[in-house]
Amino acid sequence: MNEFLLLVAIALPALAGAAVLVLTRVSYALRAGVALAATVANLLVAIALYSREFSCTLPWAGMGLELAFRAYHFSGFILSAAACFAFLVTLFCWNYLRGRSWAGLFLAYLLISMSMVNGAVLSDHLVALLFFWEGLLLTMFGMIALGRAGAFRTAVKAFIIIGISDLCMMFGIALVGKLAGTLTISQIHLGVGGLAGAAMALLAIGAIAKGGCMPFHSWIPDAATDAPLPFMALLPACLEKLLGIYMLTRITMDMFHVTKGSWASMAMMIVGAVTILLAVLMALVQKDYKKLLSFHAISQVGYMILGVGTAIPAGIVGGLFHMLNNAMYKNCLFLTAGSVEKQTGTTNLEALGGLWRKMPVTFACFFVAAVSISGVPPFNGFFSKELIYDAALERHPVFYLAAILGSFFTAASFLKLGHAAFLGARSAEHDAVKESPVSMLVPMIVIAAGCALFGVFNALPLDHLIAPVLSPQLQQEARHSFSGMPGNQTLVTLTLAALAAALANHLIGVRISGRGLGAVDHIHYAPGLAGLYDRAERRVFDPYEIGLKLAGGAARCGWAVDRGIDWIYDKLAVGVATMASRLVRLAHGGNYVVYVAWSLCGSAAVLIFILACL
Amino acid sequence: MVTVLAPTLGAFALPLLGRASLRARNLAALGLVAVSLAGTVCLLPSAVAGETTTVRFEAAPGLAFTLQADGLAVFMAMVSSLVSTIIVLYSHDYISHYEHQNEYYLMVVLFLGAMMGLVFSGNLILLYVFWEITAIASWRLIGFFRERYHVVRADKAFLVTVFGALAMLLGFISIYAQTGSFDLAAIRKALQGGHLGNFAAAMILLGILSKSATLPFHTWLPDAGVAPSPVTALLHAAVLVKIGVYVYARLFVATFSPSVEIQQIVLIVAAASALVSAGAALIDTDMKRIIAYSTVSQIAFIFLGLASGNEMGLVGALLYILMHGLAKGGLFLAAGIVEQNTGTKDITRMGGLLATMPVTAVAFLLCAVSVMGIPPLGGFFSKYMVFSGAIQAGHGWVAAVFLVGAFLTILYLFRLYSSIFLSQARMTPAREGSRVMIACVAALAGASLVAGLWVAPWSHLAITTVRQIQGMAP
Repeated sequence: MNEFLLLVAIALPALAGAAVLVLTRVSYALRAGVALAATVANLLVAIALYSREFSCTLPWAGMGLELAFRAYHFSGFILSAAACFAFLVTLFCWNYLRGRSWAGLFLAYLLISMSMVNGAVLSDHLVALLFFWEGLLLTMFGMIALGRAGAFRTAVKAFIIIGISDLCMMFGIALVGKLAGTLTISQIHLGVGGLAGAAMALLAIGAIAKGGCMPFHSWIPDAATDAPLPFMALLPACLEKLLGIYMLTRITMDMFHVTKGSWASMAMMIVGAVTILLAVLMALVQKDYKKLLSFHAISQVGYMILGVGTAIPAGIVGGLFHMLNNAMYKNCLFLTAGSVEKQTGTTNLEALGGLWRKMPVTFACFFVAAVSISGVPPFNGFFSKELIYDAALERHPVFYLAAILGSFFTAASFLKLGHAAFLGARSAEHDAVKESPVSMLVPMIVIAAGCALFGVFNALPLDHLIAPVLSPQLQQEARHSFSGMPGNQTLVTLTLAALAAALANHLIGVRISGRGLGAVDHIHYAPGLAGLYDRAERRVFDPYEIGLKLAGGAARCGWAVDRGIDWIYDKLAVGVATMASRLVRLAHGGNYVVYVAWSLCGSAAVLIFILACL
Repeated sequence: MVTVLAPTLGAFALPLLGRASLRARNLAALGLVAVSLAGTVCLLPSAVAGETTTVRFEAAPGLAFTLQADGLAVFMAMVSSLVSTIIVLYSHDYISHYEHQNEYYLMVVLFLGAMMGLVFSGNLILLYVFWEITAIASWRLIGFFRERYHVVRADKAFLVTVFGALAMLLGFISIYAQTGSFDLAAIRKALQGGHLGNFAAAMILLGILSKSATLPFHTWLPDAGVAPSPVTALLHAAVLVKIGVYVYARLFVATFSPSVEIQQIVLIVAAASALVSAGAALIDTDMKRIIAYSTVSQIAFIFLGLASGNEMGLVGALLYILMHGLAKGGLFLAAGIVEQNTGTKDITRMGGLLATMPVTAVAFLLCAVSVMGIPPLGGFFSKYMVFSGAIQAGHGWVAAVFLVGAFLTILYLFRLYSSIFLSQARMTPAREGSRVMIACVAALAGASLVAGLWVAPWSHLAITTVRQIQGMAP
């Protein structure tokens, strides 16, 4: 039964996806129906697997490569969360994608992706994990490329960035295989010194790149405008975070022994803190609904990495809780963007405004998700952030400062976004806008309700889903429950102060510029920052572009060597041969005397040889 | 025996048949190649069981030739004949527009026959003879279109590989001097696991590197892109460049081990080759040259696996030969459709072909992704095993250089794919290829996918083979 469920979890979405892919002749309703049914079945299977604990191993490619799977608390939790979101987004797609020629293709890719996600989460063998993990590349490429014309550029960018990080992971796995002598995840226990450290870093690169952390982030904002919205809502906002942070936690907690004092912990916290700040600063100045959200998708992963990187129980629990919370509110936020886009035809904030009367449910969902991401009590984001603050402060005040500053800017940018899109004056062309159909509203409402639920009753996720994930050692270290109100009242006060400052900043900005969209213009165009922002918008700092330039330079060196070698063949060898034959021809000028001289020389040589032999 | 002789001798009947009926000749060519494939498949069960089938005949007193079919030979022959069969089928449509078809079919079938002879050779002299037959066949096939610079490039390919082969012959003679035999089994017995003299090893290596188009003997391969596309597919995927790799496995792994210095040299040369050619692939703008540089780069990965010398590396290298053969064959055949229907090989003048050539575009993408080593395509397993083998053998730094090569692989293949199929159309839209041609391309792409999703039979075949070469019980 167990094995059967497990195989169903992996095979069912893939088969359903293949069916949707092949059935091009049937109606959209049937294809979408198959997709929806498959995600429902997937959800049921995931829930059935949740409470089970078992391992199973199937033979695979030989050479120690096995399809080993392990269902236990952690994988079951991630699996169920992913299945939930997949179902809700597919439900959203039903109406959102209707009428688009590529709708069926998109759903097929989505289902196949689910199969890969399930496989990756359940794998207990690193190569099997990599197989599913990297297998997501192709469907991701397909889904992005289906977007607006020219989206393929972003699809290629995403493929290259993630593909390269996955190759790093492949290399890291090969290293682990040598060091640990096994590739079964639950049997790997390594330190972080020397080669093992390199292996850990390579694996972590794969994990954080999947999560969309800097410097592997730059395809996400591009995809926000190019790729179909359900893709953004499901993958970068949600599933990739779940996968990336799940993997990172298993790397740092199970496979490698990352302790508080280790360089690995420090490196992760630095990466996390830098990501929080830089990405939120970029989000602040965006003038497009989806693009703004996409920078938050990057910034929020910084909190999770910071939390997990602290290597203390509160941080890890906070990071994982934040992963779950972020998946919820970010998914919901993207869906509200989709709702607005579907009904108004645009996500450009310059053109939007005053929609709250026309789309009250969408606005209500946006509001809940926005206050959750900003960390306003009593919503879920508040509690996970408090845990991370607590842990960050314990490690070093600098990290706390980065985190709280990030929260200030997050709140500021969502005040701006909400103000610009839903409040203020409405343009005349949007007077006839209606609320979205029920099938699009239900997913948003469900998730928004979840944000409130997981905030007020935070014991539910914290005590039942997340705390049991901690390794026995960390559980001992923790000793107390993380649920309920945060323990450190000073930190709560500081958080509230930061939120109040964000509100004040917003009001000042609105007064200066006279509109909601201009609420942060005083920061955007501040002396010193304006130039930096300008360059960032022109992608001067895009690691992808810099990397391509480096690769181009290296390629030119290779090309020069190649041309040099070719020159030896085409020019030098031919030249030498021609020269040699000319020289020999000179010696054969038809002159009788020269020939006699040659034959005398030859005879002399023969004679000397004979004499020498004697 | 039939596997070797049918194509080698049958090839000469093709031009005669061509005078009678074109169709009959085309089918006969396909039939001959298919016979090789069938023969190989018949040998498969015994090879899997770890047995060696040997055929021995006396050409002259004291000079006995042997053909032997062990796992390695059967594996290699299967890959070659499988890909070749698809290529010959594809040729039926592709080549029907051109003159000299009799010569084409003669040479292609002879080429494959020589390849079969080479892999089954149990004797160095026989191996050398078949080696040179492939050189002659490739010389004619590269210069197939008979234009002046085509012929020059064919000469270049011929000269480079033949000089390499002559050096190799010197190496063989030096082996004879050391062991007193040309017979592989006898040589293995005479050396008893000891090292081969460095001179002989270096000379043979020259031959191998020139045939397998590895730095610094690689530049003839991109230049050979002037040949008809099925021929380039044959050169790259099925026959020619794999010969060098095969002989490396046959001699340096299965028969005797070269000294440590030689192994170091192979690793360094392969690493340089992987990087330089990947760089060149990122700069060049000729579609077929880019794919050719990619072959040079990927062959280096195979050498990495072989030179690592452990079980993981060897299995990886064998799988790499299979996966790369399927995927690279598909890439070249797809490029052939593009070339024929757009009339150009310059990627700066193409674009947007996805809209009009959907099947070719998808097949090309799958094959490219397999070459990159991304699952669920077959190339994933071979790439992982090669890396893992190198790391386990303690060549971590060399493997790191190859990691950069793998990065570049993703970059240049995507650059190629984007500019052919995705970016803005810069020419009148071209039609999709003929039904047979796209079926062949789709078959190769499908095979890459199936080999990835269902990898077990292939990897187990490779494992059995490797254990056999290493003399362990399977």
